[in-house]
Formats: sequence, C-alpha cells, structure tokens
Amino acid sequence: MIQHVVSVLMSGIFHASILFLVSAGLQVVFGVQKIFNLACGSFYALGAYVGVSAVQAYAAAGGPPAFFIVPLVLGGLLIGIVGVVVERGLLRFVYDRDETFQLLLTFALVLMLEDAIRLTWGTSPLSTGGMYLVYGQVRILGAAVPVYNLIVIAASLAIAVGIGALLTRTAFGRIIRAAAGNREMAEALGVDMRRLYAVVFTLGTALGTIGGALVIPATAAMSEMGIELIVEAFAVVVIGGLGSMRGAFVGALVVGVLRAVAISVYPEVEMLLIYLIVIAVLVLRPRGLFGAAATAT
Amino acid sequence: MILRAEGLRKFYGKFCALDGVSLAVGAGEFVSIIGPNGAGKSTLINVLTGVLRPSAGTVRLNDRDITGIGPVRLARLGMARSFQLVQIFPDLTVMETLQAAVVSRLGRGTRLFASLARDRAVEDGALEVAELFRLADKRHTLSRQLPQGDKKLLDVASAFALRPEIILLDEPTSGVSTADKTVIMEILVSAGRRIGLKAIIQVEHDMDIVFGYSDRIIALHQGRVLADATPAEIQADAHVVDTVIGRKTARPAGSR
Amino acid sequence: MTGRLGLAVAVAAVAAVPSVAPTYHVLLMLPFMAYGVVLLGLNLLFGYTGLVSFGHALFIGIGAYTGAFLTSNFGVRSLEAIVLTAALLGAVVAAPVGTLCVRYVKIYFGMLTLAFGMVFYTFVLKFYRLTGGDEGTPYLRPSLLGFGLEGIPKTDYLTGPYYYYSLVVLVLAAAVMWRIVRSPFGLCLKTIRDNPAKAETLGIGVGRYRWYAFMISAVYASVGGALLGAPIGNVDPTLVYWTHSGNIVFMTLLGGFASFFGPILGAFVFIYLEDFLKSLVPSYWRLIFGALLAAIVIFAPGGLMGLVRRAGALRA
Repeated sequence: MIQHVVSVLMSGIFHASILFLVSAGLQVVFGVQKIFNLACGSFYALGAYVGVSAVQAYAAAGGPPAFFIVPLVLGGLLIGIVGVVVERGLLRFVYDRDETFQLLLTFALVLMLEDAIRLTWGTSPLSTGGMYLVYGQVRILGAAVPVYNLIVIAASLAIAVGIGALLTRTAFGRIIRAAAGNREMAEALGVDMRRLYAVVFTLGTALGTIGGALVIPATAAMSEMGIELIVEAFAVVVIGGLGSMRGAFVGALVVGVLRAVAISVYPEVEMLLIYLIVIAVLVLRPRGLFGAAATAT
Repeated sequence: MILRAEGLRKFYGKFCALDGVSLAVGAGEFVSIIGPNGAGKSTLINVLTGVLRPSAGTVRLNDRDITGIGPVRLARLGMARSFQLVQIFPDLTVMETLQAAVVSRLGRGTRLFASLARDRAVEDGALEVAELFRLADKRHTLSRQLPQGDKKLLDVASAFALRPEIILLDEPTSGVSTADKTVIMEILVSAGRRIGLKAIIQVEHDMDIVFGYSDRIIALHQGRVLADATPAEIQADAHVVDTVIGRKTARPAGSR
Repeated sequence: MTGRLGLAVAVAAVAAVPSVAPTYHVLLMLPFMAYGVVLLGLNLLFGYTGLVSFGHALFIGIGAYTGAFLTSNFGVRSLEAIVLTAALLGAVVAAPVGTLCVRYVKIYFGMLTLAFGMVFYTFVLKFYRLTGGDEGTPYLRPSLLGFGLEGIPKTDYLTGPYYYYSLVVLVLAAAVMWRIVRSPFGLCLKTIRDNPAKAETLGIGVGRYRWYAFMISAVYASVGGALLGAPIGNVDPTLVYWTHSGNIVFMTLLGGFASFFGPILGAFVFIYLEDFLKSLVPSYWRLIFGALLAAIVIFAPGGLMGLVRRAGALRA
C-alpha cells in the first residue's frame, strides 16, 4: 500500500519537475513581456526531439551509455537558441499590439513548430529506449524508482534554486524584476528593453527545451506532446499565479501530484479535476497563489 | 437640494484622501470645486458619481441614497459626468456616440432586432445634442479623428445626451487652448439651459473660468473643505487665496 | 446599391455551386457554411464586443454532440429539432459559463474560456461510455423538413438537399445577426468594445451586455456545430480541442474582424486554403498556415477585408 503511494507520489513529483521547467519558462516571459506564450509547449516538444537525436547520435558514435545525459542536456540547452530567432524574427513586431494579437502570434508559432518538428523527425514516436535504466533503480519505501527520475527531480530543483538566486541576488535578476514590475520605469532608468526581451525570451525557451529533453528518457517524443503540455502548463501558471516563479513551483507540484493521484485512482477524472480547479482559481482568486492582481472589469 | 454629500471619508490604506467632506448643491447652481493637486478632488468626484465607495459618509441624489451604486445605475437616476482625460469611443462616429447615450436614456439598449437607423427618437435626440454642441456638421466623423477640443466637447455632449438633472464635469477645459475654453463653457451653459439641466458641478483649475461662471466655489485642501462660499466671499478669504488660489491668479469676482 | 447587389450575387453564386462545380468542391462548401454560422456569432463577441474567446469549440461541440446523441441514441432525426435543441443547450451552458467569464477581460477571458473548452473536451474524451470517447458518436443522416430522404445516396443528399438547407440556415443566421448588429443593442456592444468605463457612465451595464453577446455567440456556435457534424457523420472530441478554438479565431482574423462579412470570407478562404495546402504539401501545410497567421497578425490585422478597404482607400 505505502509502496503504491510512494510510487504515485514519485511519479507525480517527476512530472511536476518537468512541468515546473516549462512553466517557469512561461512565467518569466509573461512576467517581463506580458505575453502568454502558447508555444512554450512546442519548445518543450522541440527540446524532446532534439534530445532524442542528440542521444541517438551519441550512442551511434559509441559513447558510453552512462553519460548519455550529457548530450541530452546539451542538446536541450543548445536548441534553446531558437528563442532568439523567434523573438527577433517574429515576436518583436507585436510588442506594441493588443495582447490578443500577441497571443494569436504565439498560436501561429504553435502551428509552425508543429510542422517543423514533423518535417524534421517524422510522425512516429521517438525514444531513447531503456537507456535511462543504465542508472538503475532505487527502492524508496518499497517502491521502485528509477534513479534517472531522481536525477531529473534534483536537476529541476537545482534550476529552481538557480533561478531564484538569479532573480534575487544578481543585477540581471533585479533588472528582470524591475522590468516585470514597471516597464516604463525600467526603460527610463536605462534598461535596454530590446536586449532584455531577447534574453528573457531565450531563457524562457531554453527552460522549455530543457524540460522536454529531460523528460525524454522516461517517455517517447510524440507529435502532440507540445499542444498537450501547454494545457497543463496553463493550469500550473493559473493556479500558481501568472508571472510568479514561486507560483510555477507550487503550481507544478499541485498539478503534477494531483494528476498522478487522479490517474491512479479515477483515470476519467484526470485533467477534468485539474481544469475545474483552474476555473475555481480563476473565479475565486484570479491572481492565483502568488500572482499580481488580475485584470477584471 | 439635488445632491447632498455628508461626512465623506475615503482611506487608501492609511492614506486619507477625503476627511469628512460635506456639500450640497441645489437647483440652478453652478458649483466649482477647486484645490491643489492631491487635495482629493478626483476622489471626491469618483465618490459623488458612485464609482468609489467611501469609507464613511453618504451621498444622496434627490434624497435617494446613491452611495457607491456605480456609474450604470447612477446614469439612470439623473446624474452624469465627464472625464478629466478625454473619454471617447474611438471607433464610433460622433452621431453613434450620442445615439448610444440616447439609447441608454430611453432604455432601448436591449432592443436586439430593431433598426437603430430608423429609430426617430434616438436620431432626433442625438442630433439635438450634436447641434447644441456645434458638432452637427461633424456628426459622421469618427471620434478618434476629431481635434482635441471637439473630443472634449463630445465627451461632455454624450453626458448631456442623457438629459441628466445634475452633471459633474471633471476639468472640462483642461488640455484645451485658452480661446477654446470660453467657447466650451458658453456651449456648456447654453446647452444645459436647453436640456433642462438643474445644476452643474465642475472641478476646475483655471481660475478665470471658475470665477467667471460659478455661483459657489468649494475649496478643497488635503481632503477637507476649506471653504464653501460665493466667489466674492472666497476672494475676500485670504487663507483660501493663499492656500488654494495663489495671490497672482486671484481675480476680482467677474460677471458672467 | 452595390453592397446589396454584391451580396445577392454572392448568395446566387453559392447556390449555383452544386450545379457547376465538381462534387469534391461542393462538399467543401458544407463546413464553410457551418463555420460561417459559427463565426457570425464569434465575431459578435470579438469584433463588436471586443472579447476573444479561446474556447468556442466548446459550443461547436455541444451542437455537434447534440446532433450525434439525438440521432444515435434517441432516434430523433429531424434537423430542425436538432438545431433547436443545440441552440437551447448552447444557451443553457453559456448562461453560467458566460456569467463567470464576462467578469474578466482580455487574457483572463481568453484563459477562462480555454479552460471551459478543455473541461468539456476532457469530459467527452474520458467518459467514453457516454460519448464514445476518442472514437466519438455517430451523427446519423438527419431528415430535412420532415423528409427522410433515406433513399438518396449520401453524396447526392449532401450536395443537394443538405447543401441548400445549410445555405438557408446561413442566410437566415446572417440576416438575424445583421439586424442585431445594427440595432440599439449592437451599438451598446460597440461602446463596450471601445471604452467600457465610458459606456458605464452612459448607463450601459458592461457585464450584462457582454453576457448577452456571449449567449448569442454561443447559440450561433451550437447551431453551426449541429450543421458541421452531419456531413462528417461522426462527432469526436477533436472538435472541442483548444486548437480548434484557436483555428476559428484565426478564421475570423483572416477574413477581418472589423467587418460584418469578414469572418464569413475568412471561413471560406480558410477551408479552401486548408484543403488546397493539405493536398499540395501534406507534410507542411500547418507551417504555411502558421506563417499566414503570423503575417496577418503582423502586417494585416484587419484581415482580408481590411486589405480590401485599404486598397479602396488608396484608389480613392
């Protein structure tokens, strides 16, 4: 019994770790640029596919399985550079437009990335197979947990701490928080918004691509993974509060664990429960757990 | 008394914007509210027009408690307002703006299948106000294409189109050239007479306008009523002059 | 009046299609007409009231599933009954959903509507005993105005009686929406779109009117959904997925949200372009569509009608 609970919990926390990364990317972009990036799920998918390719190439080149995580993470990280291309090439044209149009542009991006991925990698699911088992499993209170999952959870935590430190202890972090709080003031104080936006968006993209890369060994890369994840990431940021990192952390835990619990207990309910919570949050406390005040009439 | 406010207090956290403001405006009066920035004028207007709920105190319109009822219900009860920063409907024409006000006044907003173009009452009502405000020849112009002065007039005109008993104007001549200011005031006063407006309250900074048109002046300072008297009495009150008006701008009480 | 003449020509052209065009293209007109109805409603919300819903597929789904349930499970085949029930159910669902959603604007409104859409999606997907899950529920051939028309082969039914029925529904829907948009009510919606705060000071209750607009748009979407499902013959959850909601907003934007006929034009161009691209470049038609949407958002937010107006202004 306890074994089952731990198993479900660990699965939930693993999923939450990935969700956190993608949602953190969503939050940092929304916080500074006030754009809700529907394509964050697509970046996640991109990172996943690139991760698979990187690992497959690594394995084909004869690299030792124990270190497969290196090309995986590197691949996920490097493809984050796509963020710069998207920001400079597309997004910057709509900074002065209504939020609705910005949202629609990110939807256009979802469509484009979906096919770009399909063109490059085809439509069948890709995976790294059982490679992650090279790290073995441990038993926690009787439940078998792959060590790889623990590595990911640890990595995600480390990134969370890193982001927290970045935001609160570095000059750059202060600039991000200032720009998120009051854009005009930050500009008036000499912050180069163009560069900041490019950097922030790339950071957000990279968080998404890393999340995608890290999830790969545990699941397969599939064509719908992007558009499916965005609905979960969306739930995370609503519950946690738009623009808040703490919100992404707590929200991801809530969604990840609840989903795991729901799947094991009453599968039909799964996302339905989460969506009802999203609606409840939007109605009762629109700013979520940690967000700023919502725009209501 | 048409409008009566008693003991209005408004706190924003610890900051006190209004500290026990009372006033009354009766039929036939033109009252100006003056005061330095931060005196609480905007807060007072927002409380009087039901947009803000005061922390304490009441506002009564014709003896009916209207404290915090909100702008929508207030408009139906006979009080209208204009804004300090010009508020227009950018993609509607002058005519459409005024028609919207008349539609609201006549309670025809839920007529889904009636033709607006063929509604004589709405058309005539809107045209009448357009003519009073000298906007008739521009009535098919899009609001956002109007010159600034006309936008101001339109903002006020749409409030007048509600045929209110009492109207609150928040800096009706701000952002407008000196020449236009007098024009706007003259139009306002004559339009008011034509539609049966019973009282006008305005917030104004321009002392020429204030002394030129008011029956009574209420001077606000740090959330309190410093003085509530006729222009002549205000002129004579050195304290008010020093605090609110300033010696250089003070003028002898003018005639209308 | 050139406007009315142009309209008459357009309707006549659409009515003539089954007689002159190959079957394939005639069949493509069916979803176009259904989406035309949906978009008339969506644009009341978008273009006239200023609210962008990212969950309207919910109501399309309600309409389509109503048709599927009535024909498959309740033996009701009358399309009139289906359309009316769909409209009613759409209104019943829109009432509480709308009450919640219209209290918010812009991105929060979009998010709330998206959430509701996904709730319905998850519901129809997971409760497969009721809805057939991802396989869906069959939407059997409805009878038109009491005529069973069972004897006619499917294609003839769809390119004949069903086609004209859809056209009549679209024309009626457009006529009604035209009246609504030109009514005092329509004017009030526009004031709310342009400046909600000022609308309130004129005595126009913003929340109330938004709710009315939401209700009407939901009913239109449900009716459109009921029309959409019959030719497909099967209704499944993909009809309710959030990307479908995104696509109908795309259609509206493509045609031009600032014009009455823009969205209908958008539906037409979208359907045809999608079909054309799918057959031409099946592996990257979405890429082109995405690029098209991006181009519209960046360079021509007024859509095709906006471009037409600009061209007209330049010539004048």
